[in-house]
Amino acid sequence: MKIKIALCVALAVLLQATLRGIWDPFGHIDLPLVVVVYFALRRDPVQAVIIGTVAGLATDALSVGLLGANGFSKTLTAYVIAAVVTRVMLDNPLLRIPVIAGAAAVDELIYVFLHRLFAQTLPSPFAETTAYKVIWTTVAGTILCYALDRFFSDTAKQRRQFAFRRRIARRGVSSRRY
Amino acid sequence: MAIRTQKEVRERAPWWLVSLLALNLGLMSFYATDTATNKNVVGMWLGAAASFFQRPVSWVGGGSVGFFQYVGNLRHAATENEGLKQRLAEAEAELRDARAARDENERLKRLLEIREEADYEIVPARVIARDPSVWFNSLTVNRGSTSGIELNMPVATRDGIIGRVVGVSPVTAQVMLLTDERAAAGAVVGRLGESNALGSVRGLAEDGLLEMRFVSGLEPVKEGDYVVTTGQDGIYPPGLSVGIVVKITPGSATSPHEIRIKPSARLDSLEEVAVLQYKPPPRPAMDRTLPNVDKGKK
Repeated sequence: MKIKIALCVALAVLLQATLRGIWDPFGHIDLPLVVVVYFALRRDPVQAVIIGTVAGLATDALSVGLLGANGFSKTLTAYVIAAVVTRVMLDNPLLRIPVIAGAAAVDELIYVFLHRLFAQTLPSPFAETTAYKVIWTTVAGTILCYALDRFFSDTAKQRRQFAFRRRIARRGVSSRRY
Repeated sequence: MAIRTQKEVRERAPWWLVSLLALNLGLMSFYATDTATNKNVVGMWLGAAASFFQRPVSWVGGGSVGFFQYVGNLRHAATENEGLKQRLAEAEAELRDARAARDENERLKRLLEIREEADYEIVPARVIARDPSVWFNSLTVNRGSTSGIELNMPVATRDGIIGRVVGVSPVTAQVMLLTDERAAAGAVVGRLGESNALGSVRGLAEDGLLEMRFVSGLEPVKEGDYVVTTGQDGIYPPGLSVGIVVKITPGSATSPHEIRIKPSARLDSLEEVAVLQYKPPPRPAMDRTLPNVDKGKK
């Protein structure tokens, strides 16, 4: 499972850097953030903050922005979501939409604040860039979360277990027949 | 590893949070004060590792965009029969390949023209990725230090300069575009050597335009004038096109002009670029002797 999660994070970060080269508006989708939010909703705060840090730092390493700013913002966002989700039921396909939108906004606010704090200039206009990012990330994130459910949800896990049992059962039946 | 209860995990989470935030803060502090190279070594090596993934994806991705556009076009031709669709698909695929090859050929030819005109070597490179953060304007090219690329080398297309190298790994280089607010170049409005409208061009956070500062308000500047590099910044060679003046707020004897420039290179759709292995001429050493002190000794 941990290897799968690591692969998922790595793929999100690499696609984030690559897709923008194909079509510039893809840059507004924060794929690593979507992955971070998805795993933060799984009620494991420790796992969430580690994934947040790793995804954020990897994104920073491929960017010319401040190293650690994405790491900080995604770690904090992941922790806030993981802390809230242990008290309020949020892991529901419909509720995920405002969660992703809120996470995108919070992540962006922290990111910009850190750049201002460390006297780094941000070339893009704040309101416009944040609005585009929230919209694009929410739309793409909602779809992506469905895709991630196919691999990581409890239902998917059960489905895999039942498929394995069915295979064993079929083998048992066929060996008895012959 | 021991299986922990949910309560234990929750109790440990704040400690993890604090330590990881501290780690990120430490990194930011270190990074923010390091102005020598503008880039960390870890980032460069990760960039190099990522390039092995980015190259094929960018290659396939370019084709995929064309494919999806093609599928979209086919929807409008619902009345055509399957045979015609098949033939059309084949013809369009061939045409697309031919056009792509022709365009690439044109671009490479134009890059070669720079080489013929310039007295320095150029390294043609392909853009394989853009900055993952939408806040910044940088791109990654598929040539690095093994191809002779060094920090602060200028990058251009046939149309004009696009930026400079801010990070180099053995097989990739990171280029900060001129539209980034932190990028700047010495430039002049009009012909180099004839005009005195000298100033500094830097990126603006609006509409992909550039801002030219410090141009004396007494110099005649009008919309449509060309802007070229002066070479005084010690990065870009003189005489390369920067862009064209699209807006000017006239200055006076005491205030400079406010000039907006549209870059001549199309920075939003870059595929091939040329890294110029340009070495600026060494500047004469500053005369630090104090004449009064010398007089005193005599």
